[in-house]
Order: sequence, then C-alpha cells, then structure tokens
Amino acid sequence: MTRPESPAALTETLRGGGYLADRGLATAAYLALALDRPLLLEGEVGVGKTEIARTLASVLGRRLIRLQCYEGIDTHQALYEWDYARQLLQIRALSESARAEDGAVDALFGPQFLLERPLLDAVRAGDGAVLLVDEIDRADDEFEAFLLELLSDFAITIPEIGTIAAERPPLVVLTSNRTRELHDALKRRCLYHWVDYPTLEREVEIVTVREPGVSAALAGAVVAAVHRLRELDLAKPPGVAETIDWVRTLVVLGATDDLDPEAVADTLGAVVKDRDDLEVVRDRVHELTR
Amino acid sequence: MTDRAAGPAPVDPFLETLVGFGWALRDAGVPVGTGDVLTYCAAMEPLDPTDLLDLYWAGRTTLVTRRDQLPTYHRIFREWFLGVPGPPDESRPFNRPDPVEAWAELQLPEPEQTDEEREQEEAPMGLVGSTVATLRTKSFAECSPDELAALRRILRTVRLTPPRRRTRRTTPADTGRRLDLRRTVRAALRTHGDPVTLHRRERRLRQRPLVLVLDVSGSMADYSRALLQWAHVTSRATRRVEVFCFGTRLTRITRALEHRRPDDALARAAEAVVDWEGGTRIGASLDEFVRTWGRRGLARGAVVVICSDGLDRGDPALLETAMERLARLSHRIVWLDPHAGSGGTSLGMAVAAPYVDETVSARDLAGLEDLAGRLVALR
Repeated sequence: MTRPESPAALTETLRGGGYLADRGLATAAYLALALDRPLLLEGEVGVGKTEIARTLASVLGRRLIRLQCYEGIDTHQALYEWDYARQLLQIRALSESARAEDGAVDALFGPQFLLERPLLDAVRAGDGAVLLVDEIDRADDEFEAFLLELLSDFAITIPEIGTIAAERPPLVVLTSNRTRELHDALKRRCLYHWVDYPTLEREVEIVTVREPGVSAALAGAVVAAVHRLRELDLAKPPGVAETIDWVRTLVVLGATDDLDPEAVADTLGAVVKDRDDLEVVRDRVHELTR
Repeated sequence: MTDRAAGPAPVDPFLETLVGFGWALRDAGVPVGTGDVLTYCAAMEPLDPTDLLDLYWAGRTTLVTRRDQLPTYHRIFREWFLGVPGPPDESRPFNRPDPVEAWAELQLPEPEQTDEEREQEEAPMGLVGSTVATLRTKSFAECSPDELAALRRILRTVRLTPPRRRTRRTTPADTGRRLDLRRTVRAALRTHGDPVTLHRRERRLRQRPLVLVLDVSGSMADYSRALLQWAHVTSRATRRVEVFCFGTRLTRITRALEHRRPDDALARAAEAVVDWEGGTRIGASLDEFVRTWGRRGLARGAVVVICSDGLDRGDPALLETAMERLARLSHRIVWLDPHAGSGGTSLGMAVAAPYVDETVSARDLAGLEDLAGRLVALR
C-alpha cells in the first residue's frame, strides 16, 4: 500500500480497516506519514489510541512492532541484548586452540548472538513497519531521553557491530495516558494530537462497524447510556472500548434491540469498573435506559 | 526536511501568514519555536492551503504540545484566519481580586544583595542565630513582614526529602539478588569461559513523588503566604514535587512555581489561584484532585502533604470518600495543621483523621522542621 494522497483518502482507508477517525486524527496521521515525524497521541483511557496504530499497520500493509513501556524499562529490553547463555556455551564448546584464534572472541559478539528487541527491530524494518510505543508515560525520564535520541535520527550504534540506520524511518506512534507530564523536548519531536471521546453519532457508527451483527437500535441505546455515564462524573468514565465490550456482553446475553433496566443491572460490570462508581450508577439504572 | 518549505521564497504571502500566526500564538502565551513554525509550513505543503480545516488541524498537530493550550490555539486561530475577535479569556472569573492587591502583602521585597552587604549581614553570627531561635517557635500568623522575609531565608535550609522506594530499575552492586549476566559473561571471557566471579545487580532506590495540597482560603490567610513560599523552596529543592492550592476550587500551581526568582514564582502562582482567601470546600477540592490528577497516576505511590485547618463548608461525606480514595492511591498522607496544639479539632479534620498517617503542626518553623525529619522515615 502506498502513501495516501490526502487526509480524506486516509480516512477512507482507515474506515476500510474498521477504524473511524475524525478529521483531526486523520490529518495528524497523514502528516506523520508525509513528514516522517512521530505522532504522539494523548487522551482518556479507551478512546482508541493504541487501536489507530494497529489499524494503520494493517491498512498500510506494514508490520506492527509494539513496545509496551513499563517502569524500569531500559535499553536491554527495548533495544538489544546479547544472548549470554549461548555465548557462555559457545566459549566452553570451543577447544583450547580455537579459543586462542584471533577472531574467536569477536565472533561471540556477532549477529548470531544478538537478541533484537522492538526498537532495533523497527529501525531495521524502516518504513516497512509501524512502531507503537505504548504508554510512554509509564517509562521513566531516562528512557524518555533515550527515546528522544532514537526518534531524532533512527540510528542505533552497537559498539561490537556498528551503526544500524533506517533508510526511511518507520511510522512511529506514541501513546500516553498522561499519568505524568512528558518532557517538552520529546513533545517537540512529535506531532501532537489529543484524542477526545467521539460524538454520539460517531460512536454509534463505531459500534456498528466493530460489531456488525448489532441492531442499530441496540447500538443507539447503549451509546446513549454510555454518554449519560460519562456525564455522571465517575472516577473512571467508560471509554469507547468499554462501549464495545458492553455491546458484546449484551449480545451474548441475548439482547436484541433495546436496553432494559434488568439487563443493564446484570451487565454493568462490563462498562463501570470501579466499586464506588458502581454504587453511584446502580441507583440510576433507570435513567440510563430512558 | 523542513528546510524545503522555508526555502528561498523571500516574500511568499502565504508563508508570511503562517509565520505571523505562529507569532500571534507566541504572543498569546503558547511556546511556539521557530522550528515548530517551520514544521507547520512543511506540513501545509502536502495539504490544501485553501482548506480551512487542513490549516486548522495541521497547526494544531504541529504547534500545540499540550491539551491546556488547545483553547488558546482555537481562539487565536479564529482571530488570525477568520478575523473573528475571540471572547475575552473565559478562564478568568469576574470576582477575582486584583492580583496586585491580593499580593500586596505577599510580595516581600528581597533586594539583590551585593557580596559586601551579605558579608555585613552574616558577620554578627550570634545575633542572627538568636533570630532563628526566636522565629523558630513564633507562629506564622504573628510574624511581621520583615520576620516573614527572614523566615523565607531560613526556610531554604529546611529541605524536604521524601522517602525512597525500590524501583524496577537495577544498578550494579556487590550484593544483590539478581545476576548481572552482562558483566559476568564479560568477566568469564577472560577466564576461558569459566564464570569465576558472579557479578550482581540490585534494585535502585528512588525518591517518591511529593504532592503538596495547600489551603489558601480565608481562614488560612495568615499561614498560606508562608506555606506558599515554603512550597516554592521545596519545589526548587526536590525533583518530583507537585503543588496544588485550593479554597473553593483546586488549582495546580506547579508550573507557576517553576520560576527561580521567588517573587516571580509567587506572583505567577497568585495569578493562577482565583479563589485566594475565599471560602473553603476541602471535600470538593480533594475530590477533584483525586478524580482529575490522582486517577491519572500523579498521586500513585506519592507522599501527599495536605495543609489545611479542616474548616470545611462542604459536605463531610464528600471529604470522607475523597480521603478514602486518596489513601488507597497514595503511599502516605501527611496532614499539616496550623492550629495544632491550640485545642479543639475541626469537623473536617475529624472526618479525615482515619486516613491520615501523620499529623504535624504547621504553626511555626519548628513544625516544618519536624515534618522534614519525619518525612524521610515514612516508609
């Protein structure tokens, strides 16, 4: 798949892949492709930040390489690592004379002992890949600084092997749930887009695209209920992912085209995932099904 | 990549418009660098310059780096490209006191001293020492402006060190549970593949984040000045500090306090806080804190220091749920009470008490020193 010609074309392509992007997100993704810039997506939990990267990879015919960030992630887990066990076995297997040869030690640090981690993988794959750096806010400052360096020139230097550079950089999508503020330097490297909750109509559309078997009436009722939940000022307002989950749950339980209070009470766990919130919502179940 | 767009084109009216837009944003307080404007111009190249939506979204993705800048961007965009004068900044309520007036007492001048002056001041050590001793136990409420200025200097020496915790990151060490395979194998190469010495790693220690939540309502007026100064000193001294103020509503002033000069920082904080010396709604404010900031992880594993007299005009039930949530999210909660020891407990404090790990007096300097001492031990 070649590069899309305009944001509108990209929107259509994404729709083909089952993702409904609004104008802003489509423009941001399009620019990320056109300018070879990383795309930083921030937004509430469950608004489809990770999903856009997956869909972009599939509709562009690229490989998705995912790096899930977590506290304490370091270069060995993100970039590359030597296979120490094999190296040790190799040394022990070599005879005394073989060990004395000049290239013996060099061979130990050759490509066959190198374990590729996602970032190295992505640099090698170049524009044949979409690199998803998920939840970058969970990693610490040090890792962010390291990532900044990588994102600016897409080259990795391994002392024993040399520099590996991407001819054309991969499409990079970073997501953040804003558990902490990212450094401005990293943000400056990236195109920024805030992903908002979709409008009512769009969310109904999303549900019907993702769950084609659902009747329009049920989708409409569920989305309306979710929108009311978001207005309730809950500790954990439901995201689009929860809406889809809820619809699935209801379909499994045999709901066809309307939400009745009983079904809502039974399946509330699919959409409200906090005990305090549950208490608030239980009192208002009838309001949701109006 | 971006140079192309900046190209020779000496007088391209379109480029000029884009650059001018960048300037307008900068004037409105959005930090837009030349590099960002270049990216914007480059972004418009593959897009349709006559399409207003392209113009809008391309600028939004390239010039804005934070969510809170979006309203300003929106307003400036309307003004610049559509010629629609935006409404006056809505974030400012009508009843805000004139900042100059509100801070008249706070802006204690601390003139830049020459070395000579400093020496003169430092020379009579005994006298200064005795001032410190007197000020240490004098309530903030009774301090004169001069004494407050002196306090501020002393406050700089009260360094808060939050307790530390083990991170998932490791560092080479002599002892430790984990084997450092990398170093062990490297060493083994020298001994023909026999791992003679085992190198180890252990988990690194790191300071927990510190969150200060300060009450600046009317009943705390005498203390909040000193506490805000203290917050400024603390946020300069320790790395991960978040500062919030509340009266009737919650305001995050971490960014405002980032200024190095205390006067600038405090003035900017005063700008940000709109409910200075008003009523108190502790429950609602803490609830908002837990919902908007705590939920995103700011309070997770942190030491939260709440400074308030607990005189709440809101619903105690709300305060209780907020405290309960906060207790579950954070590592420890410390309550600084300016009226400690004066007898009587406010309703707010009584409600919050079960969830508070330590109560410390914030009446005077000695109390803050006490806090500094106890904070390190809060494991």
